[in-house]
Amino acid sequence: MQGWVTLALLLSLGVGCSLGQNGVGELPVPRGLTLNPDLPAQTLSLTWQSDSSLFDLEIFHTELMNVVLNETVAVKTDPVTGLHSWTWHSPLPLECTSHSAHIRARNQQSVSQWSPLQTIPGWDIPEKSESNMFPQDKVVPVGSNMTFCCIVKEKEDFKEIMYGRQEMSATRLSRRTYAITATNQPVSGNTGTNVICCSQRLTLTGAVVFVGYPPGDEGLVCETRDLASAECSWKKGRDTGLRMRRSRTKYTLNGRDCLEANERKRWWCSSKAWEQSWTLVARNPLGTVHLMDSAQLTDRVHLLAPVNVTAVEVKAWSATLQWSWSVAAYKKLEMVCQLQLFAHELNSTRNYSGPGLSSVVLESLWPDVDYTVTLYCGSKHGFWKWGDKSAPYRIHTKMDRPDALDVWMWMDSSNTGCVFWKPLSVRKSHGALVGYEVSQSSAEEDGWTPVSLPPGNFSYPIILNNGSDITVAVAARNPAGLSQPSTVTTPAYRADSQLSMSELLSTNGSFVLSWQPNANASSGYAVEWVPTGCSGLCPVDWKKVPESDSSFTLNSDSLVAGVRYTVSVYALSTGAPTLLQRWQGYSQEMTPSQSVRELLPNQSGSDVLLSWKATAMENQRGFIRGYTIYLANAAHLELIANISDPEVQSYRVKGLSLSSYKFVVKAYTSAGEDAGATVAIKMEMDTADMLFVGILVPLGIMFCCLILISICCYKKREWVKKAFYPEIPGPKVPGDWSSPQGPLDVKPSPHSLVHIVESPEWDFTKEGLFPVPEEEEESENDNIEVDADSDEPALLRYYNQVVGDGSHGNQVSDSSGSSNTSVDSTQTEITYAGIQSPTSSQGACGGGGYRPQMQSVIGPAEPQIEFEADFQDDGLHAGYKPQCSWQLDSPEAENFSGSLGSPTSVTSSQFLIPESSEEKPQPSNTWFHNFLSGKS
Amino acid sequence: MAGRSANGRHGLRGHAGRTAALARLLHKDCIQLLELYRNSESLPSSPVDGDYLVSIPPLVPQLSDEEKISILHAALKECLRLLEDVITREDAEFSDEDSEYKRKRKTVRDRLGHLLASTEQLLVDGQKFEAKVKEELDGQAASGSFGLKMWIVRVLQDLVHWTGQTSDTLHSMPAEMEKAPKTMSRRTRRGAGKIRK
Repeated sequence: MQGWVTLALLLSLGVGCSLGQNGVGELPVPRGLTLNPDLPAQTLSLTWQSDSSLFDLEIFHTELMNVVLNETVAVKTDPVTGLHSWTWHSPLPLECTSHSAHIRARNQQSVSQWSPLQTIPGWDIPEKSESNMFPQDKVVPVGSNMTFCCIVKEKEDFKEIMYGRQEMSATRLSRRTYAITATNQPVSGNTGTNVICCSQRLTLTGAVVFVGYPPGDEGLVCETRDLASAECSWKKGRDTGLRMRRSRTKYTLNGRDCLEANERKRWWCSSKAWEQSWTLVARNPLGTVHLMDSAQLTDRVHLLAPVNVTAVEVKAWSATLQWSWSVAAYKKLEMVCQLQLFAHELNSTRNYSGPGLSSVVLESLWPDVDYTVTLYCGSKHGFWKWGDKSAPYRIHTKMDRPDALDVWMWMDSSNTGCVFWKPLSVRKSHGALVGYEVSQSSAEEDGWTPVSLPPGNFSYPIILNNGSDITVAVAARNPAGLSQPSTVTTPAYRADSQLSMSELLSTNGSFVLSWQPNANASSGYAVEWVPTGCSGLCPVDWKKVPESDSSFTLNSDSLVAGVRYTVSVYALSTGAPTLLQRWQGYSQEMTPSQSVRELLPNQSGSDVLLSWKATAMENQRGFIRGYTIYLANAAHLELIANISDPEVQSYRVKGLSLSSYKFVVKAYTSAGEDAGATVAIKMEMDTADMLFVGILVPLGIMFCCLILISICCYKKREWVKKAFYPEIPGPKVPGDWSSPQGPLDVKPSPHSLVHIVESPEWDFTKEGLFPVPEEEEESENDNIEVDADSDEPALLRYYNQVVGDGSHGNQVSDSSGSSNTSVDSTQTEITYAGIQSPTSSQGACGGGGYRPQMQSVIGPAEPQIEFEADFQDDGLHAGYKPQCSWQLDSPEAENFSGSLGSPTSVTSSQFLIPESSEEKPQPSNTWFHNFLSGKS
Repeated sequence: MAGRSANGRHGLRGHAGRTAALARLLHKDCIQLLELYRNSESLPSSPVDGDYLVSIPPLVPQLSDEEKISILHAALKECLRLLEDVITREDAEFSDEDSEYKRKRKTVRDRLGHLLASTEQLLVDGQKFEAKVKEELDGQAASGSFGLKMWIVRVLQDLVHWTGQTSDTLHSMPAEMEKAPKTMSRRTRRGAGKIRK
């Protein structure tokens, strides 16, 4: 069973194979296939013999057997050769690698056997071991795509292929061949685009591709310069980008090489003979352009420049110009020429025509002017274009006599004046002036008296000797001669004050003048303007107006803003000019440049009279329309008056109080106010008021105060007495003082500073007076020092002190300070310089009563020593030793009393009165005491 | 380049010093020229395949300084000839528009001529050496514009190399060389005789 199945399968396969072979085998295989490569064109031509007309073609890259073409083509037999031929354009240079091809015939679905493979070797075969790149030096249009291949030399590695600066992606085609494809290539640089193949360590090989454009030339135009030959020119158009010598555009004109253009000098070609039509062919490796032109020779005449231009006859007002032509044929050509004359403000263009024009007369020139002439011509019939310009030629015309001067005479008084004339312009002077000649004649004198003036003078003073008119003639002189004299007769002087002048208002800075026509103005009118009030060398200006006119506009150009002008109109005749009308006005009013003058305030009671004077006319710069008065406050000006009458130059400011004021006065014109003048005033009272307020009132107040103080003191005399003149309490001594136990030897303590302490609740019944102990040894020393320093005897001080008041500290400090100053409010230190002793006698001590110290004045130093000694002695006896123990005749007492020097009470309520006459109580004290005591 | 100090190791003065300074300056110019060309042509900085175009006898230590200068002078002379070929061919083939490269190229040519004239004064009387050029322009240019460009690069590389060699040699010369030219001449003749053997 299995054997049958196998047999059946083999049979079926055998039938299938025989059927297939029968389909192929019916067509003969193409014969004699040959490959003919065209390497620069990258084409491969295949030729073969066959009876069929339809073929299958296959082309491989041989080494890797990559199919690069598989196509069925219909190719008929060439009747001449009897061969079939077909050409394939390879995108890859055929040198890059070996290519193989084979072919078979096809008839519908049946095909023949493939022909044997035919191969063309590439440059990557082992026999060619060096590196190579293809294609080399290709010229391609911008935007095209291109494939490059690099064949790496044997035993060298491959790294990359660069297109310009761009690294490309490479494809391997064989063992040694790599390829890249550059798409949409941009235009190359000057030396083409480099494609470089590199290994890891070397630059192996490379190629240059030139990417550019086909020629873009256009606009061929041919013309003749010599009426025989032709010169054709055109525009270059777009840059081809191809600068390699073999890639540059080549030009031919009517089939002849255009050497001028091919040498890249100029975009033109010449031809020795004129032809009716012209064809320019521009060709480069990327394309060809044909440019056409056709014209008659006479319609394309472009004349050369005239040569040898010269001025053969130059006069003051004209010149004759000659030139020649470099082409003889021009002499018969009907031509038109154009002359351009250049001079300062005298440029002009003039046309001339004629056959073979070579000379013209230049009319209407100006004397003494430098002209530069440029000349060019063209064909009159069938004018094509102006020819080349001649070289500039300079002509200087001759001088001529000057024109007559414009003369005017201005009188600044009845017998003095000045003749003015205007400088001549270049057009009128006809040559540089060398001076002026002024002649004058009067009725009394015969003939003219000439005076020569240098060219810088434009005026001449005139003096009328007898008040009669004189006539002045002025002429200008240049090297060519003297001008016609201009005459003027002195006009009658009319001062401004003699005339009723009207104010002249300006219109846009100009004065529009009009006047009544005057029958005597046979020579017209003269309008004169001069700054008002000017004297001496004044800028007098004038303008002559024809007699037919009776109006004139004085432009702002000849006027200065802010200057007042006096404008006069004169009628001109053969005699003296006659004044017709006079105005004054400003072309443009401005604010005054200076403030009012002499601004003074004058107080009158509570009023202030401000007075001032107007500023000088030259500073007014406009008609003064009035004044404004301001009161200057700290931050602003307060308008207090506006005086619209400029003649009013004072103002009274009323009702001012006593204070300081600052006033500002400003003059104003139609343009505004000036900066203002300021004056300050301080309002003061009248003399009577000052007497009353200044003297009597203070006196009255003082008197009243005194009375009040007196009344008050009287009413409160008890309090005053208590406060300022307290009773000195009597000493309270323990023990029985009524009967003396013996002679009392009362000695004052050597340190006899006694403090009386006063308390507001001072009570005489209390022990309020106590001797201040000399606090410490230091205090003692201090006191001693104080005493020693003082010129005064030792001071006795009483302190009224509340008993038990712990103010010893203060006392200590006080005692260390000045010995005769009060302490504080609760303590009153009183130093009694001399109080009348109460009734007492020296013998009172013996009587057991209080005995004041009777001391004679002795030097202060000695008692102190004694004082210390006594103090030590006293210290042995506790308790107080009454003064009775003090013996008057004791030398110590005498010494001691000398140290006291002033009435002193030690522990007594009585004042101690020294008997010294020097220390008698003052009467005032007595009076005051009585007063306080209520005694009369 | 370490030996190419500003004043030379031995403090050359006078004509030899000026020649050395000129050689150093020219060497820098050649480096700049090569760099300018590479930049203008977008060429990689890797060297071009091939040896130096100009070949000379090896500068063995046994040679005197004067003999070395003579040999280098011959090499520089060939370099100048190659450079002039480059200029002629470049201007003929490519755009004649002005560029910084072309200005520098002219500078190098002029200074190379000056250096040759200057080194000629240092040569030994009557002694001549010749340098050889391995590959002439015609063979290289047959491969197209790129071949021409690569040949230009090789010429410029040679210029850099030989001007550097000359500068180094001149700076290594002793200062007293130009003080005793007669003595040097005798010694040089002896050395030259050895070379010829």
